[in-house]
Amino acid sequence: MLLLIAPAAVVLVCFQIIPILVGMNASFRDWSLVNPLKTWVGLSQYVAVFTDPVFLKIVLPNTFILMVSSVSVSLVLGLGLASLLNKSFFGRPLVRTVILLPLTIAPVITATMIRWSFNDQFGVITTFLAYLGLPEVAWLSDRWPSFTLVILTDIWIWAPWFTIILLAALQGLPPEQFEAAKIDAATPWRTFIHVTLPMLRPVITVCVLIRSIDAFRTFDQVYILTGGGPARSTEVFSVYVYVQAFVNLDFGRGAAAAGAGAIIMLLVGVGLYRLVNRTMVRSR
Amino acid sequence: MIGMLAAAFRRGVFSIGILAIFVLFVGPVAILVLTSVRPASGAYYIWRGTAFTLHNFVDVMQQSQVVKAMFNSFVLSSLATIFSLGITVGSGYMLSRFSGWIQRSWFATIYIFRTVPYISWVLPLYLVNTRLGIYDTYIGLLLPHIAVHVCFFSWLMKGFFDGINPSMEHAALIDGCTRWGAFYRVALPSAMPGIAALAILCWLSTWNEFLFALILTGQRTPMITSTMAQFVTETGTEWNLMSATAVIAMLPALLVTIFGQKYVIRGLRM
Amino acid sequence: MSIETGIRRTLALTGILACAAVASPARAETTLNVCYINHPVQVANVAILEKWAAKQGIKINKTLTSYSVYLPKITQMLSSGATDQCDIVWNNDDWGQDLAQYLEPLDDVTNARNAAEGQLEPFHNADGKTTAVSITTTAGILFYRTDLIPEADLPKTWADLVKISQKLQTEKKVKWGYVGGMSYTNTFFSFWWTLWNNNCDIYGPAYERDNKKLAASGWKPMIDSTCQIQTAEFWWDALNKDKISPPGMTTYSRDEANAIFQAGDSAFTVADTTFLGTFNNPEKSTVAGKVGIARFPEGPMSTGGRTWIDIWGWSIPKTIPDDRKVAAKKLLGAMLSDADGQIEQWNQTGGPPPNTEVWATLEKNDAGWRKLYDILFKSAHVHDAYYFRNWSTVHKIYSDTMIRAMKGSRADIPQVLKASVDAIQAGAATK
Repeated sequence: MLLLIAPAAVVLVCFQIIPILVGMNASFRDWSLVNPLKTWVGLSQYVAVFTDPVFLKIVLPNTFILMVSSVSVSLVLGLGLASLLNKSFFGRPLVRTVILLPLTIAPVITATMIRWSFNDQFGVITTFLAYLGLPEVAWLSDRWPSFTLVILTDIWIWAPWFTIILLAALQGLPPEQFEAAKIDAATPWRTFIHVTLPMLRPVITVCVLIRSIDAFRTFDQVYILTGGGPARSTEVFSVYVYVQAFVNLDFGRGAAAAGAGAIIMLLVGVGLYRLVNRTMVRSR
Repeated sequence: MIGMLAAAFRRGVFSIGILAIFVLFVGPVAILVLTSVRPASGAYYIWRGTAFTLHNFVDVMQQSQVVKAMFNSFVLSSLATIFSLGITVGSGYMLSRFSGWIQRSWFATIYIFRTVPYISWVLPLYLVNTRLGIYDTYIGLLLPHIAVHVCFFSWLMKGFFDGINPSMEHAALIDGCTRWGAFYRVALPSAMPGIAALAILCWLSTWNEFLFALILTGQRTPMITSTMAQFVTETGTEWNLMSATAVIAMLPALLVTIFGQKYVIRGLRM
Repeated sequence: MSIETGIRRTLALTGILACAAVASPARAETTLNVCYINHPVQVANVAILEKWAAKQGIKINKTLTSYSVYLPKITQMLSSGATDQCDIVWNNDDWGQDLAQYLEPLDDVTNARNAAEGQLEPFHNADGKTTAVSITTTAGILFYRTDLIPEADLPKTWADLVKISQKLQTEKKVKWGYVGGMSYTNTFFSFWWTLWNNNCDIYGPAYERDNKKLAASGWKPMIDSTCQIQTAEFWWDALNKDKISPPGMTTYSRDEANAIFQAGDSAFTVADTTFLGTFNNPEKSTVAGKVGIARFPEGPMSTGGRTWIDIWGWSIPKTIPDDRKVAAKKLLGAMLSDADGQIEQWNQTGGPPPNTEVWATLEKNDAGWRKLYDILFKSAHVHDAYYFRNWSTVHKIYSDTMIRAMKGSRADIPQVLKASVDAIQAGAATK
């Protein structure tokens, strides 16, 4: 049985755990990227992070808003699209491919393209919206419009991810129970709520768990679309780490910020983990 | 009569829904493709002027190692997919079928380490690779990718195996199958649509990955994403060339998606 | 084909490919790895290096790196002492001081010292030796539309700039008067050129870059001084009241600003001099042939125009083996002695030749050069960075403060600026 996880464990230890521990070691030291003195400074880097008003009042709320909205909307969209694709209708293969298009473009490219498309002067989407006579919105230069754009971009990138996994899960479900529901003349909606959803629950829980962690450390979309601006108002956790480590070149502080995030996510995770366990028990 | 109206109404809503899906999902891709056929002077104002050109593609093919990079990325993505899946089918199954402290700590480990953002450990990773002498090699890029995939695949695999009723395997065990046989003959085929979905996701995420490709490779093993990123310079982005490269890179990704989907939809059990 | 056979075949194939790929290529005679960015001037300079490498029997491996990860990657490479990755690296004054400790002194390279006065100092190591030789000089310059503004009417002051812009805008000749980068790291193309042309700077005394002198005066931030408030108010008005610049400009990088200028939607912009070639290239710009260069308009407190000029350089890591060091130095010397090659670089890209001796030749034969030289070098200078460890932190704080001021009300500007005094002062204190 141990043999089953051994290869995974070895790779994980060498190429993720060790580098992370090396990084965490930096969080206790004075470790500038260009001049690593590496003197031990105890927990002072963590204290600095946890007492930074930007981290507490802007970065954390932003991060959780992004996480909750992106994950929940992508999940609902993904569920909807997956159930749609699980039926047969004319043109289904085409729709199936179209929905996966966002996954075929690197997120970095997508974010860059969205940034140009929403530019107030040459953006093709802003131009089109103005052509329709809609009021002008400072999509990139005001806090909430730009943060909304970040969330929408994130959803565009990740809804297909949910779709493809949930579609696979739907395909793997045993058909017997659906037939039973059909005999009971249950409406499609009731079948979905009472038969489909409970059976999908293990996969959904895992998806939500994984996407929540990943959304918690979203970087590319935010960094490219807003750079955390205007004036740090849309900064999220990973951008904060980036600013500390690569703009301020303070690798120690950046590592401490990453560690702080991991601790917070761990606390959040305990809640999610309970949820997982409970649903596991129920699904047995 | 009312029934017919209702059906027509439902069909109308359905068609509008499909149309909306097309606009939302094809729209941004269309913008990218349109950009890639615009001359440099029109790469930003794509709605102004009617000059179109294939020059960007010619330029990209000539001035950078796009073909070599595509080949490298293709091999890397395929290897990462095969190994990641190979490794995690086992650990996912184990997580699903057994429980104990090992499983719990495995879960906790994967969870904790996944919360750390890439940017805080990619530089130590670079140092690990330099130390091991595998900087700028296939292996040096492949192994970290596997490490990253291992995390979430183990968990999704578990989700898929959880969705399969274990009573079938018990039946197989009673029929004289070994544990391995039950896994191979019963559980694995049922999980096939899930595995195929993960394969697609794994391949695409490796293909589209930027940060590792930028930090862990040099001129010996250029990746398609690091080639794209070269169009970002201190004084600006050559967006027409970058988008052309992105469009070229979309083609293999699209092929893999279409090919892979056949298996998602038509799992072995069906 | 069943899935199993499919997978088995793919496995076999990829296995073979992997083995083929892992086998590392054999090394040639002397190979030098050059690590740089895909920027036209660097590409042109590498072409000179390649030309001489062929003559000297050296093989050159070109490693292009994306600007987005260049600094972190190079610092890690240098501080870990890796010797197999880069033998010649691109260096720039912003990081010159931080990297100097890891770099080979290059005073013994032929013509290394033929650079404009004060330009190599940011690359000096503790012993006062330069750790970089020049590739080119970079500077910002005002670009204007020659078809819209006659040379005699060029703006001398900020007020002129606003007046000319508004006139052209009301005549519908152009959509905007001025466009330039404003987001973090593009501060030069809006806030800073005006700051430096209003007898102002980030720390007092203005334009001083000697850390000892700055420390002696207590690293006094100038962000709450009148000259700075005037600068902020000028930009606030440009965006919100005079409307000579697009409202979204606070988020613009060089990409957006250049795109708008190249599309003919703006009368003025400030950008790196090397864009002269791009703006006048019909393939890249719809205003090609109609773009000229001019002096910066000055602010109300200005006592004379000021430009920033800084060197991009090549450096050699300390840790590489001696034979490669010797070869690399010889190659850089050959590049610095190649007048024709450097003139070719100037003609192709608008990047000034690295060796100032070559400038004399251009002075005689090249009207375009004379104009650039007049604007850039016959004026007072300022370095576009400070040279202490947390400079980029301060740059970010400064940028965030200014953008906050732009997004707030005009009356709040002095207050918003004052709020950052402590942070900017603390940023300079060495830890």
